[in-house]
Amino acid sequence: MTPTMLRFAGLLGMVFLLVFPLLYTGSNYSFIMHLWITAFFYAILASSWALLAGYAGQFSFCHMAFMAIGGYTTGLFNNYLYFSNTPTTTCTEFAIGDRWLVVLDPIGVAASPRTCLDAAHSAWAEAGIAGEVLIGQPSLWFGIGLGVIMGGVFGLLIGALVLRLRTVYLALFTVGFSEILRAVISAEIAVTRGQAGLELSPLFPDGITLFGTYFAATHKLPPYYLMLGLFLLCLAIMGLLVRSRFGLFIRALREDEDAAQALAVNTVRYKILVFVITSMMAAAAGAVQAHYVGIITPNILIILQMSLVIAMAVIGGLESIVAAAIGAIVIQFALELLRTSFDIGPWTIDMSVWRLVFFGLLLMLTLRFFRNGLIFSLILKVERDAVAKETVSKRQAAAEPKEID
Amino acid sequence: MLTVKGLNQYYGESHILWDVDLDVAAGSCTCLMGRNGVGKTTLLKAIMGLVRIRSGHIEYAGQALAKAPAHYRARVGIGYVPQGREIFPQLTVEENLLIGLDITGAKQIPERIFELFPILKTMRRRRGGDLSGGQQQQLAIGRALALQPKLLILDEPTEGIQPSIVQEIGQVIRRLNQDDGLTVLLVEQKLPFARKVAEHFSIMERGRLVATGAMPELDDDLVRQYLAV
Repeated sequence: MTPTMLRFAGLLGMVFLLVFPLLYTGSNYSFIMHLWITAFFYAILASSWALLAGYAGQFSFCHMAFMAIGGYTTGLFNNYLYFSNTPTTTCTEFAIGDRWLVVLDPIGVAASPRTCLDAAHSAWAEAGIAGEVLIGQPSLWFGIGLGVIMGGVFGLLIGALVLRLRTVYLALFTVGFSEILRAVISAEIAVTRGQAGLELSPLFPDGITLFGTYFAATHKLPPYYLMLGLFLLCLAIMGLLVRSRFGLFIRALREDEDAAQALAVNTVRYKILVFVITSMMAAAAGAVQAHYVGIITPNILIILQMSLVIAMAVIGGLESIVAAAIGAIVIQFALELLRTSFDIGPWTIDMSVWRLVFFGLLLMLTLRFFRNGLIFSLILKVERDAVAKETVSKRQAAAEPKEID
Repeated sequence: MLTVKGLNQYYGESHILWDVDLDVAAGSCTCLMGRNGVGKTTLLKAIMGLVRIRSGHIEYAGQALAKAPAHYRARVGIGYVPQGREIFPQLTVEENLLIGLDITGAKQIPERIFELFPILKTMRRRRGGDLSGGQQQQLAIGRALALQPKLLILDEPTEGIQPSIVQEIGQVIRRLNQDDGLTVLLVEQKLPFARKVAEHFSIMERGRLVATGAMPELDDDLVRQYLAV
């Protein structure tokens, strides 16, 4: 295999992903599409973490925290903000032109909470002006955008705070941040609904027409293309970055920060930048996923979830964003498809538990025998063979006696 | 070109450099000498901004640099070849050389580097870590030259390197200094190498600068007193 064939295979894979939802007609369509959407979500997280940890050497354990910041920002935005043409007098509100931006009071965990807006509705009905009142919510895309920005802001903050921390200290610091965030979300039940979870409206609440066909809010095809689009966009941005000076500089600072500085690399700037960029990607994935799933809980912040993303990137290959992404997709499918239990003689193997054992074993074997990950080892072998061939042919050409005219 | 005045540096509470003064004239080649552990590497690192100093002045081409970060010092024209080479092992030879190009605005690696070290052209796509010690040293010098510096600082460029390459490196340093007019400040333990390459010497002893002069003035007394082990 040659590097050109590898690129061709990559292109084929991309075409496959683009046409799959249109061609697949299995009875388990929704389930398979759900697997793909979740796989793209993890692929964004694993590949952006690979950029942060594999390329820049920043072994952060709070990538899922940035994802949650994206999800919770859009979740809170979606639950708390309304526009009204009439002041409610019961909620916190701000006049913006001839409209009012209404912020709900904490919604709490009651099954059907009576919000300040409900109180306002009653008052308007009593006053007989309910027909004139127009209430609306800002588009959820603003919430998602705000989630991405918040991810970047926290990425900047954490990036600046961990500047002088390396290896295990950086890891512990970021675990600490992630746990604090989980504790705050869990504790602020009145605002975030804690373990009950914050519910979000679907990505396309009124459905959407694509390719001349109407898809309802619950159809999986629109979110598939949205998550795939986000995944490919992140991959394209990261691909451009790693091929640019930025990629070179972050790899240099990973290997030797002092030497990089002595070569005029502003290591502080690049370290913070890589945190901001990868945090924004994680936040974008988290915000879209939260709307797709329809609920977000603090459980996405447990250390096991972060370990899963790390394991996906490690098994794929830490030093390649594409390999990490493929690793995430393969692992996500394997974990779901291995759920089917089977019998060996009198024993039933409960795969819902045992699949995690296989996964753990795979991780251990990868770390022991394929330090570059399973996918990246293959890519690397093809590339190295090509370089070795080129060097040998250059040497042979130099050694051959030249003809004299 | 480079003036260091009253430089004091500490590692924790250990006082390492004591009121060090050093002058490196433009176009000169100065060798910083002294036994192991007298503070030569620390002084170079302090000049480069890789360790913090407690007090003192560092002036380069009329610019005060004592508070400037390392990357700025590289930007204004100081090239640094660290002790032990410290090349980027996972990056290819070409990538190692490309890092410094950013500030010069050049898109291509200057041909001069391959002219001085032809092996780097042959090994262009190999990883830095795959190179031999001598080749890595050549790469480390080439990498600093990609910045197109005016002052080149080398920390023991011949340490642990086979004799044939030591000779080659000596010739390259002389060519850079004499043909290209590059100012050179190097730390060197090998006396014959230092005598051949440098025209000035500065000797350090227990964190202090104790002797300076033109290379012919480095007599046996000074060698016995400050350099002999």
